[in-house]
Amino acid sequence: MEFLAWVEQSGFSVWLRESPSVWAYPTILFLHTLGLALLVGASMVIDLRVLGFSRSLPLEPFGRFVPVLWLGFWMNAVSGVLLVMIDATKLLANPLFYIKLGFIGLAVLCGRLIANRVFPHWPAAPERDLQTSSRVLAGASLFFWIAAITAGRLTAYLFTGGDLSASVR
Amino acid sequence: MDSTIVAFSTWLNKTSLAWAVIHYPWVWPAAETLHFIGLAMLIGVIGLMDLRLLGVAKRVPFAPLHRLLPWAISGFVICLLTGIVFFAGDPFQYIHNWVFWAKMLFIFFAGANVLAFYVTGVFRKVEELAPGEDAPLQAKVIACVSLALWIAVMYLGRMLPFLGEAF
Repeated sequence: MEFLAWVEQSGFSVWLRESPSVWAYPTILFLHTLGLALLVGASMVIDLRVLGFSRSLPLEPFGRFVPVLWLGFWMNAVSGVLLVMIDATKLLANPLFYIKLGFIGLAVLCGRLIANRVFPHWPAAPERDLQTSSRVLAGASLFFWIAAITAGRLTAYLFTGGDLSASVR
Repeated sequence: MDSTIVAFSTWLNKTSLAWAVIHYPWVWPAAETLHFIGLAMLIGVIGLMDLRLLGVAKRVPFAPLHRLLPWAISGFVICLLTGIVFFAGDPFQYIHNWVFWAKMLFIFFAGANVLAFYVTGVFRKVEELAPGEDAPLQAKVIACVSLALWIAVMYLGRMLPFLGEAF
């Protein structure tokens, strides 16, 4: 806890949190939103395809979009660490924060398993149904991303020590 | 401020929708969560189509990718409806904030760009784009403008509480 308080009170964290500059806190929030759009958005497209939407879409060349997902992932990992530094004692005491990280971990795991299964193997027969196990993974991935977004958003409202309406919008 | 907008906001703020937003504290966070999910659906589908036209993952044929468009439209509708929920709950914090109007303007531009894609024949040109085939310049310009505009819309939305004075 002392370490967290120290992180929170470090010059850099104070600047990020309290600077009136739009390049501090607001820009980090924006980058976290943009990374979410890239990572979750592109993951959802892959999940929908694996679930059976737009079956004529060949999955193998889709692997080229994977760097877009990783760009989103790392944008959010870095901006996420900065957001934690700003508010370490409160965020790390919030159970929803850990639930969110758990859902992200599960979603990324599903994404990797899907990528390993579908990208190398389906250049020749894109119209064929994918294995049921891949479809289950795609459904789970969609669920975990939606759950991660929900937990993330509610982190600003629940278990914050204030009432629901008084929190940061 | 235009009096029609003020009158509309005053009326909207007295509807039962506004009452629910103010009365139930979970409505706002629930609408925010859905706004983010809708945003991911919209930007995910549109963004990958734009990137394909710009030459990323060129071996992906365009037409089947375009078939996922209903998911982007659904994402947009989710954002629109939840946006109306925010606006109804506190219209005056939006109408007196230039960032809100800038965001609306950029959404309008993004819509005009979509219209340009379909009515100027660019869509017909790229519809049959085979795997590995390069998109024509006009399509690339539209794709680039689309990415820039949607990123700007997200930026302005996220800046609502920070830029301008109304919040």
